[in-house]
Amino acid sequence: MRKKRTILIFTGMILGIFLMFWINLRMGSMGISGGQILRILTEKENAGMEQSIIMGIRLPRAVAAVFLGGALALSGYLLQTFFANPIVGPFVLGISSGAKLAVALAMIFFLTKGKDIGLTMMVLSAFAGAMIAMAFVLMLSVKVKSMSVLVVCGIMIGYICSAITDFAVTFADDSNIVNLHNWSMGSLSGMNWQQIRIIVLIVIVCFCMTGSIVKPMNAYRLGEAYAKSVGANIIFLRVMLILIASLLAACVTAFAGPISFVGIAVPHLVRTSLKTDTSYVMIPASFLGGALVTLFCDLLARCLFAPTEVSISSVTAVFLVPVVIVMMIKRNDKKQE
Amino acid sequence: MPKETGIRTEELHIGYRSDLIRDITMSVEAGKIVTLIGPNGCGKTTLLKTLTGQLRQRGGVVYLQEQDRTRLGNIEIAKRMSVVMTNKVRAELMICREVVQIGRYPYTGHLGILSQEDQHIVDEAMIMADVKEIERQLFQNISDGQKQRVLLARAICQQPKILVLDEPTSFLDIRHKLTILQKIRDYAKTQNVAVLMSLHELEIAKNISDTVVALGEGKVLRMGKPDEVFTESFIRKLYQIEGMDTQLLGAMPWEESSRKAENITKNDEQEEPAVNETLQKAGEKNRKPAVIMIQGTMSNVGKSVIAAGLCRIFTEDGYRVAPFKSQNMALNSYITDEGLEMGRAQVMQAECAKTPPLAAMNPILLKPTSDTGSQVIVNGKVVGNMKAAEYFKQKHRFVKDILAAYDSLCESVDIIVIEGAGSPVEMNLKAEDIVNMGLAEMVDAPVLLVGDIDRGGVFAQLLGTLDLFTKKERARVKGMIVNQFRGDATLFEDGIKILEEKGDTKVVGVVPHLPLILDDEDSLSGRFQKKEAKDFDVAVIRLSHISNFTDFDPFEQVKDLSLRYVSKAADLGEPDLIILPGSKNTIGDLQQLQESGMADAILQKANRGTCIIGICGGFQMLGRKIEDPYETEEGGCAAGLGLLPVDTVMNREKTSEKVTGSITHATGVLKGMEDTEVSGYEIHMGKTTPYEEVVEFTQNGSGYCLDNIYGTYMHGFFDRKEVLKAVIEKLATANNKKVDTEHITDYSAFKERQYSLLAKGLREHLDMNYIYSVMGLNHDV
Repeated sequence: MRKKRTILIFTGMILGIFLMFWINLRMGSMGISGGQILRILTEKENAGMEQSIIMGIRLPRAVAAVFLGGALALSGYLLQTFFANPIVGPFVLGISSGAKLAVALAMIFFLTKGKDIGLTMMVLSAFAGAMIAMAFVLMLSVKVKSMSVLVVCGIMIGYICSAITDFAVTFADDSNIVNLHNWSMGSLSGMNWQQIRIIVLIVIVCFCMTGSIVKPMNAYRLGEAYAKSVGANIIFLRVMLILIASLLAACVTAFAGPISFVGIAVPHLVRTSLKTDTSYVMIPASFLGGALVTLFCDLLARCLFAPTEVSISSVTAVFLVPVVIVMMIKRNDKKQE
Repeated sequence: MPKETGIRTEELHIGYRSDLIRDITMSVEAGKIVTLIGPNGCGKTTLLKTLTGQLRQRGGVVYLQEQDRTRLGNIEIAKRMSVVMTNKVRAELMICREVVQIGRYPYTGHLGILSQEDQHIVDEAMIMADVKEIERQLFQNISDGQKQRVLLARAICQQPKILVLDEPTSFLDIRHKLTILQKIRDYAKTQNVAVLMSLHELEIAKNISDTVVALGEGKVLRMGKPDEVFTESFIRKLYQIEGMDTQLLGAMPWEESSRKAENITKNDEQEEPAVNETLQKAGEKNRKPAVIMIQGTMSNVGKSVIAAGLCRIFTEDGYRVAPFKSQNMALNSYITDEGLEMGRAQVMQAECAKTPPLAAMNPILLKPTSDTGSQVIVNGKVVGNMKAAEYFKQKHRFVKDILAAYDSLCESVDIIVIEGAGSPVEMNLKAEDIVNMGLAEMVDAPVLLVGDIDRGGVFAQLLGTLDLFTKKERARVKGMIVNQFRGDATLFEDGIKILEEKGDTKVVGVVPHLPLILDDEDSLSGRFQKKEAKDFDVAVIRLSHISNFTDFDPFEQVKDLSLRYVSKAADLGEPDLIILPGSKNTIGDLQQLQESGMADAILQKANRGTCIIGICGGFQMLGRKIEDPYETEEGGCAAGLGLLPVDTVMNREKTSEKVTGSITHATGVLKGMEDTEVSGYEIHMGKTTPYEEVVEFTQNGSGYCLDNIYGTYMHGFFDRKEVLKAVIEKLATANNKKVDTEHITDYSAFKERQYSLLAKGLREHLDMNYIYSVMGLNHDV
């Protein structure tokens, strides 16, 4: 039963990703026929406006959506494992916002010096910001035992970070504000291949690191005490969970700005449809689910009010916030039973 | 097989920010179950958490299979020890099998993929814990009992040598408690795993454990076999319920233990076998003894005597037997060695069964205090006065006491002989019956119905009673007995035919009137009741903590002698012999004697040359000084009566032995008793040393005498007829009195003879083969 369901859902998600990917390539202000796209992708057609639109804009954007979306969902799943609670994600804990603030400050700092911020610098500052926010949340979680209070605190941290970001943006040089503003709203636009290479590299490294802790992660589902009693190295596990989750969230934030709710809602959707929480299944499933949802939301963000683009966070919020709310209500019901 | 240690601690200190418990040194051997008990917050869970490494130890060493735990890696520890904790396990969306599989963690590779063999071990563990059927169900959806078993399966498939469980039975109903405990015990014994767990339920701890560790007051308060730990005073102290009424909790674990402990100490010389026996008994807990119930058509048809005779017959045939009667109504009771009150009939039956009388043999005793009210005594202790109507309304409350008492007997015997009370068909009182058919139903006993032909109307008695039974009750009656037949039994053959035809029930026997002298309930007047002093008078000083007064029973067989128990100096009179009996609290009782003026009265008599004999504690009181430096009783030091120049010091070790010997010297009035043989038994903690002027009375320094004052440690001193006769005759001559001592025999021998005659008489007239067969026993007589 469960096996069949798992296979079915995985196949569905992979097919869905291919379909969405294809639609993403097709849709846009300039109509390009399917045949032409195929020819461009197989490098039979090497010139013209269409080629540069597909290869320069739509393809990197779709690839970024796949990897960044997957990274976000995976980051969310890792955090949920860490906190043993499904109502957490990088965004609600303020980690994304922390990364955003760090990136914004770094950007402004470099811009005032008249230099462009390098990609490495951007990722590093995002990671630093994510870790600082994470450290803050961890400190709180020692003091605050209630999960909902912790989430509220995370959201507060997010707000403070956003406020400081806004503050910085307000006083930044005019010429750079637009760029910064777009980025801080969250957008997948303007991806180039150099960025994609770094994204893919980081995500693959993180994925492998996750693989190295899949065994203790699975045991951790019985709670810390039991995991320890079967021989799991809890401290190693916790450090790894935090590191990987922060790195993934930082990576997303550095390149696409904060994308809300994917990290919290997608693992939940995947979990409920798979009816299992086994780490072996959940890690790839979260990744695929994140990719699928992000492709879909980016498509909407891009095409809904074309040529104007909406921030992707707005779209994900519209679709995923109801999911989160339903989930919270259901959990509450279960507790009261 | 060498002892294999599972887990062991050495001077372990545990606690969170400060030491909660210090110096824990204990060990759990392979195949044994050790249980931690103690009040909430005493550190049970903290200890378990420390042992399993969830908490850092604050000092000392934990050894897992003789390896320091801190030197072992996580995985190595996990391979040796697995745990089941009280923490609620989240395990969201995990099916039970997945939960169990986690137990294979230490054995799988880097990715944690289970091999074929691992899966096989998981299967086996799930079958052992009886959760294979629910392996596909979500863990969060199953019941608490199932969850606990799944977690046990998880622990089992970790293939540990040590299993640690923190309160495995909390939140479970009794069925789940039972199953989980059975699994744990089976697992420990079959797989030779050391099991350490904490429990709140003392009853369970008592039954399942090989060793019990009691934690409290920041230390290990007591550690030992369940019977050694579960004594009333200790448990009350441990849980700080001294003086509190525990009735709400039902049967308490000490109720059986104290008794057993006492039995063990009594047979001190056989301590080893006695302990083995307890273990054996624990193993055969589920074995049910055979049972037979004797009911009568009315009071005084001879139920108790027939039950007593059966007890003796079964005992002679090699069975361990206990008598039982759920409720007695009698004025005269017997005080057991533990100081508990019970009915006399069961004492006689117990003697027939050659077993010490226990209050459990008669859990409810009603002593009428007026025409309508009674003092109610449950399991030997007074619980209050009740009017008959009130008692009748409340008696269902006592069902659990009765059954608990019955169950406690079951543990150590092969056959239980139950006696009913009055008529089983008092139609107006039949509701909620707990003495006749109601009890038979509860314990599933076959019934023999006894009628008394001597009082007439035996057909109406037996057939009428049968007719008034319900169908179900009637099916329980497996036979009828016609008792007290006088004359030629052949004349009654037609009668038997008629009874069997009309009653459709076998007549098991026609028992003639047997000319025996037995202690039935009413013939023995209350021991402690005030009595008139006869010409020859023996006064036993009634101490508050008097013990072993069966010592003086032999005097009862002498007709022209009065045996009085005296508690007030004013009642002492002019006895020919004063006896100071044994005491459970010698120093305390001695002080009481001195305060009440009784001591002065005794000294006065002694001055006038009255013969005084002290037995055991009484002997110690006669001396100059009693010291209790180790607080074996209540501690302290007291001056004795000073009549015998001896000093006593209470030791830690108990002397407890059967002795036969002879009187070595006799001074004063008893002069001439030298070399009379004496036999009895010594149970005492004291060591008594003589001064020079005193001479040895009984051999090996077990007693001393000076003039007319005698003291000895020997209980049962008067049991031999030669001793009793000599004492009475010598005193009678000295005091110029006449006592007929012709009929004096050894008291116990006298009783024994009567019991054997009874058994012989019954064997002749009862179809014993048939009785054995209705009890489900195959015994060829």
